[in-house]
Amino acid sequence: MRKSSSPLVYVTLLAAIALSAFPLYWLFVVASRSNDVVGDWPPPLVPGGNLFDNMNRLFEAENAHFLKGMVNSAIASLTITVSVVFFSTLAGFAFAKLRFRGKNFLLIAILGTMMVPVQMGIIPLYMIMVEFGWTNQLQAVIVPFLVSAFGVFLMRQYAERAVPDELIEAARVDGCSTFRIYWTVVLPALRPGAGVLALFTFMGAWNEFLWPLAVLEQDNPTVQFALNQLSTGYYTDYTLMFSGALVATLPLLVVFVISGRQIIGGIMEGAVKA
Amino acid sequence: MRRLTRTLAALTAAASLTALAACGGDDGDSASGKTTLVIKTFAQFGYEDLYKEYEAAHPDIEIKEENIAKLGDYAPKLQQWIATGSGAGDIVAIEEGNLSQYMTTPDQFVNLLDHGAGSLKGEYLDWKWDQALTQDGKHLVGLGTDVGAQGMCYRTDLFEKAGLPTDRDEVGALWPTWDDYLATGKKFTKAKTGAHFFDSAGSVYQNILMQQGDHTYYDTDNELVIDSNPAVKAAWDKTTELVDAGLSGNITPWSPQWNAGFKKGTFATIPCPSWMLGMIEQQSGEENAGKWDVAKVPGNGAVRGGSFLAVPKQSDHPEEAADLVKFLTSAKGQTTAFKAKGNFPSALKAIDSPEVKEYSAPYFSDAPVGEIFGESVKALKPVYLGPQNIAINDAVVAALTAVEQGKLSPDKAWDKAVADAERLVR
Amino acid sequence: MATQLRPRPSVRDEAHADPPPEKTRGGLLSRLDKSGSPYLFIAPFFLLFAVFGLYPLGYTAWVSLHDWQMGGKGDFVGLDNYADLFDDPDFWNATVNTLGMLVLATLPQLLLALVIANLLNQKLRHMTLLRLGILLPIVTSVAAVGIVFSQIFDRDAGMVNGLLDLMGIDPVDWRADKWSSWLAISVMVDWRWTGYNALIYLAAMQSIPRELYEAADLDGASRRRQLWSITVPMIRPAVIFTVISSTIHGLQLFTEPLIFGQGGDAITGGSLRQFQTMSMFMFEKAFKNFDYGYGSAVAWMIFLIILLLTVVNYLLVRRMK
Repeated sequence: MRKSSSPLVYVTLLAAIALSAFPLYWLFVVASRSNDVVGDWPPPLVPGGNLFDNMNRLFEAENAHFLKGMVNSAIASLTITVSVVFFSTLAGFAFAKLRFRGKNFLLIAILGTMMVPVQMGIIPLYMIMVEFGWTNQLQAVIVPFLVSAFGVFLMRQYAERAVPDELIEAARVDGCSTFRIYWTVVLPALRPGAGVLALFTFMGAWNEFLWPLAVLEQDNPTVQFALNQLSTGYYTDYTLMFSGALVATLPLLVVFVISGRQIIGGIMEGAVKA
Repeated sequence: MRRLTRTLAALTAAASLTALAACGGDDGDSASGKTTLVIKTFAQFGYEDLYKEYEAAHPDIEIKEENIAKLGDYAPKLQQWIATGSGAGDIVAIEEGNLSQYMTTPDQFVNLLDHGAGSLKGEYLDWKWDQALTQDGKHLVGLGTDVGAQGMCYRTDLFEKAGLPTDRDEVGALWPTWDDYLATGKKFTKAKTGAHFFDSAGSVYQNILMQQGDHTYYDTDNELVIDSNPAVKAAWDKTTELVDAGLSGNITPWSPQWNAGFKKGTFATIPCPSWMLGMIEQQSGEENAGKWDVAKVPGNGAVRGGSFLAVPKQSDHPEEAADLVKFLTSAKGQTTAFKAKGNFPSALKAIDSPEVKEYSAPYFSDAPVGEIFGESVKALKPVYLGPQNIAINDAVVAALTAVEQGKLSPDKAWDKAVADAERLVR
Repeated sequence: MATQLRPRPSVRDEAHADPPPEKTRGGLLSRLDKSGSPYLFIAPFFLLFAVFGLYPLGYTAWVSLHDWQMGGKGDFVGLDNYADLFDDPDFWNATVNTLGMLVLATLPQLLLALVIANLLNQKLRHMTLLRLGILLPIVTSVAAVGIVFSQIFDRDAGMVNGLLDLMGIDPVDWRADKWSSWLAISVMVDWRWTGYNALIYLAAMQSIPRELYEAADLDGASRRRQLWSITVPMIRPAVIFTVISSTIHGLQLFTEPLIFGQGGDAITGGSLRQFQTMSMFMFEKAFKNFDYGYGSAVAWMIFLIILLLTVVNYLLVRRMK
C-alpha cells in the first residue's frame, strides 16, 4: 500500500469501472426494450418494460433450444468444475508435498502439456466421438475437459505455500492415510486457491464454443451454441439476441456476486501467480 | 469446507445422473409405442399443418421436425450426418445446389423407386424428377418439393415516397430488363428516401446468374468453366454495374441487420424466389402487412433454389419415412406448403390447379403470386450446377461484397473469385 | 476471512520433510499407501490427458500426413499438406490476422492493466467494490460479448459510428477493413481481460516492500519512473504469467471474430478474410470443407506457433530487467 490518493485517482478508476460496466448495462437495456428501438440514434439508454416478454419469446423461440442449452451448459460446466478441482488439488498436493520417483520429470511433463490446447485436437477428437457414438451427446463436451494441466500446476504452486508440512506430519503420526490427509488437511488449506480455480474452470467451460460447435447439433446445444444460433438464424431479432446474451451471462454474474469477495481474495492471495 | 465438498460431491453425482438421463432418450421411439419420424429441414418448408394431418391419419406416427435456419449452416451438417452415418434422422431436405454432390454417392439414400415412387414420375416437372435420378435411371434419391420461382419483392410505401408507381403491373413494366431495373434504381436513389434500392450484390447476382443459360460454374462434364462461361461474367458485370450506381445496401444476407432491414424498410426491392416470401413476412412483422408487394422479375423467368426430400439409409424406419415423403411432396402437400410459406410447387397438378393459380398472398397486398411465379416457372430452363457450386458461389459472392465495400475494383475482385474457385476444385 | 486464509509460510527443513518411516499400525499397508498414493493421485490427470489431450494431438499429426477426407481414411501423402499450407495465401492471411489481433489486443490490455493496478495500489475507500467493478467483464459470457460489441460496432446503427458522426467523422464499415475489424475484435478481448490482469498485477505489487518506494522518493524519482524502475521489475513473474496466458488465448481466438462476422459465411471472417483467425481457418477446412488432413496440418501449425511464441515470450520477458 502506498500513499493516500487524490480525487483524480478515484475519477480515473470510476471511469474505468464505468467502461467495464457499460456494455453489461446496455445488454440489459436492449434486452428490456422492444425490437423497434434498436438502431435508433441516440441509442436507448434507459431500460424498457419488455424484459419478461422478451424472455418468454426467448425460451419459446423455435429451434433455438435456448433452455436446453442453459441446462446442458449448467450440467457440463458443473461436472467439469468439480472434476477439475478434485483432480487438480489431488495431483497438486502430490506434486507439492509427497515424495515419489519421477516427480520432477512428471512435473515438467505437466508444464509442457499446459501449452497443449485441447481445442487443437478437435479433428481426431471428433473422430473419436463418432467412433464412440457420442456426437450430439452431452458427454462429448464434458469428458475431454475433465482434467486441466493448468489446474494441476496452479494447485501445486498454491499447495507449496498454503499447506504447512507440520500439519501433514502430524496427521501422519496420527495414522491418517494419505487420502485422508488430503481430504481433512490439504483440501481445506487449498480452499481459496481452489475457489479461484473453480470459478475460472466454470467460466471456461461455460464459454467453450469451438468444440460444441463441431460436435453438437442445434437440437442439443450448449448455451453459447444456442446464442450463436439466435444471432444467425431466421428467427432473429435484436432484443431476442440480447435477452439471450443476458440470460447466458446471468449465472456467471450470480456466482460473481455471491463469491466475488472470495474470488478477489483468492486472486490477491496469489492463487493465480505463476 | 467439509460441508462444501460434500455438497459438491452430491452435485456431481446429481449432475452425472441428469447427464445420463439427458442422453438416453434418443432412440427414435417414444414410450407410447408410436414411431417417431425425424425430419431435418432448413429455412421454411411450411409443413406444420401437413404434419398434423398426417399424424391424424396415422395415429401410430409422430413427426418431429428439426430445422436449421440458414442453408449455409445446414449443408455441412447434412454432409456430416450422411458421411458419419448418424444424426440424419429419417427424412432430410436437400437443396438443389447440394443435391449434385449426393448424386455421386446415391447409396447413402434409400432408393425411393423401391418404395413405389416410380408411379409418380409423371406428377412432377420432368427436369425436377431427373435431377434426383441417377444417370442409369435406377436409383431415385429424392422427391422434389418446390422450385424457386422468381419474383421481385418491393416496398410500396418506399416506391410511393420516391414518386414511382406502386401498382405491381406498372412496377413490373418498369423493368423488362436488368438495365431498366438499373434505370429505375437511379430514379429511386435520386428521390432520397433514405432507403437503398436493393439489399446486397449477392442477391441480385444470384438472380441474374440463374437467368443466363443452362449451366454456371461447371459444364455438364463437371469441368470448371467459371472463367470461360460468358454467362457468369455477364451476371458479374451486370451486378457490378448496379453496385457502381450506388444502388446496393451492402447488407450481408442472413445477418441480423438484413433481418431487421425487412421491418425497417432499409431496402426497397429484393429479388425474391418463392421460398423467401414466408421469411419476408415473418421478418417484417404484422405492422408492415400490405407494404410489401411482388412484381415480375427483370429479364426472363428463372429458378433459384428449390429442394428435395430424401430418406437417408441410416433411417430406422425407411418404409414409414418414404410414405411421409410421398405425402409431403404430393400435389396436395405442395399446395399446402405454397399457401403457408410461398414455396412454389414442382408438381404439375399443383402448378395447374386453380388453388395455386388463383392464389394471392394476403400479406403481400394480395399479390397474385400463383400467377406471377407460375409464369416464371413456365419460362425457365433447368440450370446444371455441379459438385462444388455452393463453395464457388460463396467465393464469388464474397468477392462481390469486397466490391461493394469498395475494397477491390470489379476487375481485381473477378480475378480473385476465379483464382479462389480454381483453388477449391484443385 | 482473508487473513485467516493467507498461506502460512512454509517451514520446510530437511528434518521435517523427511521423517523416518513410521512403525505404527498397519506397517505394510501404510508403506504401500505412502509409496503408491502419489501415483494414484496423479494418475487420473495423466490418464485422461493422455486419452483426450495427447492422443488427439499425436493423431492430428498422423492425420495431417494423409489426404484424409470425411467418411474414410485417405492415402499417405507425406508432407504434402504442409507444403500446400505454405503456398496457401489464406493460411498466411489467417496467421497475420491472428498475430495482428494478438498484438493489438495484448499490448494495450497489459499496459492498461498495469496502470489500473498501479492506481489501485494505494489506500482507497471501497477497495473491494472497486476491485469487483474492475473484474466485472470477465464474468460476461463470451458470446454475449460478441453480440453486444457487434452491435456497438455496427456500420449502420452502431454506437461507435454514431459518436464518430457527432464528431463529424464519416461512419466506418468495421467489417470491411483489416485495421477496423482487428480493432473492434481487440476491443472485445481487451474489455474482457484487462481487469483480471490488473488484479493479478495488483496482487504482485502488494508484496513489494514499501521501503523501495520510500528510498526512491528520497532520490526524487517521479511516480512514473518508480513504476518502470521498481514496480515492473518486481512483478516480473506476474508479467510473464499474463503475457504467456494472453498469448495462448490470443492464438486460439475464435468466438469473438466468428460472432462479429455475423450472417453469410461468418467462418471465413469477412469478404476478403479480413479477420479470419487461424482457429477459424482450421474449422473452415475441417468442418466446412471436411478436409481433415489439411485441417490437421493447420492445427499442428497453430500448436507449433503457440509453442514458439511462448518460448520467445518467456525469453523476452525474462530478459526484461
